[in-house]
Amino acid sequence: MPKTRKLALMALLTAIALTIFMIESQLPPPVPIPGVKLGLANIITLVTMLLLGRKEAGAVLTVRVIMGAMFSGSMASLLYSAAGGALAYAVMCLTVGLFQEKQLWIVSALAGIAHNAGQLLACVLIVETPGVLAYGPVLAASGVISGCFTGFAAMYLIRALKKMRP
Amino acid sequence: MDRKTKIWTIILAGVALLGILGWLALENLGGGTVAVITVDGEEYDRIDLSKVTESYDIQIDTQYGHNTVHVEPGRISVTEADCPDGICVAQGAIDKGGVPIVCMPHRLVVKIEGGDIDA
Repeated sequence: MPKTRKLALMALLTAIALTIFMIESQLPPPVPIPGVKLGLANIITLVTMLLLGRKEAGAVLTVRVIMGAMFSGSMASLLYSAAGGALAYAVMCLTVGLFQEKQLWIVSALAGIAHNAGQLLACVLIVETPGVLAYGPVLAASGVISGCFTGFAAMYLIRALKKMRP
Repeated sequence: MDRKTKIWTIILAGVALLGILGWLALENLGGGTVAVITVDGEEYDRIDLSKVTESYDIQIDTQYGHNTVHVEPGRISVTEADCPDGICVAQGAIDKGGVPIVCMPHRLVVKIEGGDIDA
């Protein structure tokens, strides 16, 4: 793919990810448990990783996390998203090669667990209260469930995009 | 479904199931009547809920934001917060030590512990 085309595509993917992130942040939380959310913007990270590569996905994710915190006006949550995002990205990079494309939801579920683990760890360090670790089990479950969901969404999106491509 | 997918389906379903069961167990676990409020790791207040006879509010204003903590006989909750998500308010009241109320953006934790209050 020509460089300019790739750059344009990455910018487009970042914009889409940011839009999804912003819309999700305006929705009421699905359950009243801190850290539990769908993480729909993760769909774009996965799509970018499969269509363009690991490095490109990392770039889109980094810009989305930073700009997302700026746009939603919650710089306080930047640390949590950054910790979760970094760990999820690392797990995605390590596991994406081990699975076929139709098993992408497994990669996404593992990344979901990693995201929540990173976020919880950041929370323990920031509030300096080990008691918040009580959220570990429910966050692991939430990571699997939302990870599967975004993983399947990414899989179908990639299938559709590949059909569209000339 | 091939073998690998099957194994991972079982593992992930197991994690989800155990996580939810663990959560339900934790929510109903733990004794104690002393509520400890911490902001950014520092203890802000400590209240023996068993000695509370009338409900009252505590206003917590820090550099991170505002929260109203509502103290009732035997239980405690966050009733107001100016954070974007308001999850701490949605969490409702706690009366057991298992799971603390957390307001992540404001670095606020409300936890119930056992033991006596040191003056």
